[in-house]
Amino acid sequence: MLAYITAVAIVFCIYALLTLSLNLHFGFTGLINFGHVGFFAIGAYAAALCSLNGMPYVVGFTAAAALAALAAWPLGLLALRLREDYLAIVTLAFSEIVRVVITAEEWLTNGVQGLPGIPRPFASLGIGGNAELAYLALVVTAVVLAILLIRHLVRSPFGRLIQAIRDDEVAVKALGKNPAGVKVRVFMIGAAIAGIAGALYAHYMNYIVPDQFLPLVTFYVWMAMILGGAGSISGSLVGAGVLIGILEGSRVVRDLLPNVMQVEMASLRLALVGLLLVLFVLYRPNGLMVKRDES
Amino acid sequence: MGYAYYVGLAINGAVEGLTIGLAALAINLVFAVGRFPNATTGDLMTVGAYAGIAVQQSGLRSLWLQGLAAVGASMALSLALYLFVFRALRGRGMLAPLLASIGLAILVRSVLSFFAGHDQYVFQLPIVRPIMIAGIPVQSYDLWLGGVALVCVLLVMAILFLSPIGRQMRAVADDLTLARTSGINVDRVYLVMWLLVGFVTGVAGMVLGVRTVVMPEMGWNMLLPAFAAAVLGGVGSPAGAVLAAMVVGIAQEMSTPVLGFTYKIGLAFMVLVVILAVRPAGLFGRVERVR
Repeated sequence: MLAYITAVAIVFCIYALLTLSLNLHFGFTGLINFGHVGFFAIGAYAAALCSLNGMPYVVGFTAAAALAALAAWPLGLLALRLREDYLAIVTLAFSEIVRVVITAEEWLTNGVQGLPGIPRPFASLGIGGNAELAYLALVVTAVVLAILLIRHLVRSPFGRLIQAIRDDEVAVKALGKNPAGVKVRVFMIGAAIAGIAGALYAHYMNYIVPDQFLPLVTFYVWMAMILGGAGSISGSLVGAGVLIGILEGSRVVRDLLPNVMQVEMASLRLALVGLLLVLFVLYRPNGLMVKRDES
Repeated sequence: MGYAYYVGLAINGAVEGLTIGLAALAINLVFAVGRFPNATTGDLMTVGAYAGIAVQQSGLRSLWLQGLAAVGASMALSLALYLFVFRALRGRGMLAPLLASIGLAILVRSVLSFFAGHDQYVFQLPIVRPIMIAGIPVQSYDLWLGGVALVCVLLVMAILFLSPIGRQMRAVADDLTLARTSGINVDRVYLVMWLLVGFVTGVAGMVLGVRTVVMPEMGWNMLLPAFAAAVLGGVGSPAGAVLAAMVVGIAQEMSTPVLGFTYKIGLAFMVLVVILAVRPAGLFGRVERVR
């Protein structure tokens, strides 16, 4: 039971990192990013390839963050020129391009067969619990650091600029500030956090394939963010929690209802995610953790 | 692999392009009139194709009847989506309906796969020998499907540009407030627009289903190529969307010998990103400024 709770908590932390970083993009800055899974995938493959080639974990995590941020740079520049609906489509296409490249470049990524045997930090502590708990401590630390970073960003003069841009870009320009540079930097920081999440995911799963990085992951994270409330850090955590509840809860329900088949349960789980997204957009667009009159 | 091979690829690409073109047309309609990128477009197609399969499973062999069921199902679903979701989201900006359409797309697909499973279905067609045109073998079904898609496109264009409701639709696309002030029944325009979207996606789903296999992801997989075509053609230019889709379809097929099958799929996404970086207005669209 403890092992199960630890496993769920680790996955929750990884989704929390994704939701927090998407929230930095959209909730705090207004950048409509539908390609978050692309940064997640880049981070996962970067970290996996580094550690499979015998490099220390630190190098892998640094590469994951740096490469994801680097990939975000041209997208951030594009974001300055595009209407928001076009940005949504372009980022979605970006994440699919990442997946296509990962699938096609077999010499590097082993294509659809994926990368097996990715080592995990603290594995030497023994499989029966301690290693898992140590890894949990690592991902919790990552979440705490991400929250501190985002809070610092939001409350700093830089952060006030970010929110001012979200609310009224023209006024910010009129004050002599440069919204362009700020948007690009925020895009890169958020992408780096998603890259770290990818690295943590790869090391935890030990095995990654391109099919784990479908656009559906992006939409899961969007649902979590909308459900918790755009622009709210606590909302991101609640949203990620509800998401994990749906993804894991359906497994528990399946144990209680042995007549329902595995694939049918997967369909139901997906239907629930879609339905929640629609219902929240319709009836509670500000999310659970944000008061109605705000924003 | 002489020139006949490449001409064969081009013909295949043109029919594929017309299928993408129908989806792009549906996207373009919602983009222009409803003002958001409609992610349910692909899944409306899927529902149409499954309705056709359902008719086939019930023993009716007529492709026309199956097509009729496809169009009917897509139109009914499109109308339902508008009445229950998108109507309430009018005036809520771009993001709310886009997110809702993504949620609905996921919902529709999962309900479909819950009841129909993940098995692949095919439309049973009698085997026909390919006809030779100037020494090039052409599948007669491809010609038929291309013809049906073309007629569908022309029909929508005729409605848009020759009928009063089409004129009103274009007026709403240009300027909602002005259209309303000049006495256009905006509710009726939206209703007809969503019915038209259902019609087009129903035909597209049937054409795609006959050409390939019917499975829950078939429509979703068409979404990005169709977005690419709609953007490449320029928003507000339905003819541009269809032409651009032909370009995307032919380019995808012709590039297969060079790029391989995996990158063929990536080509549409690359086109999309490059076009938006270089010419956000598309090839035929009006210049739309940022904010």
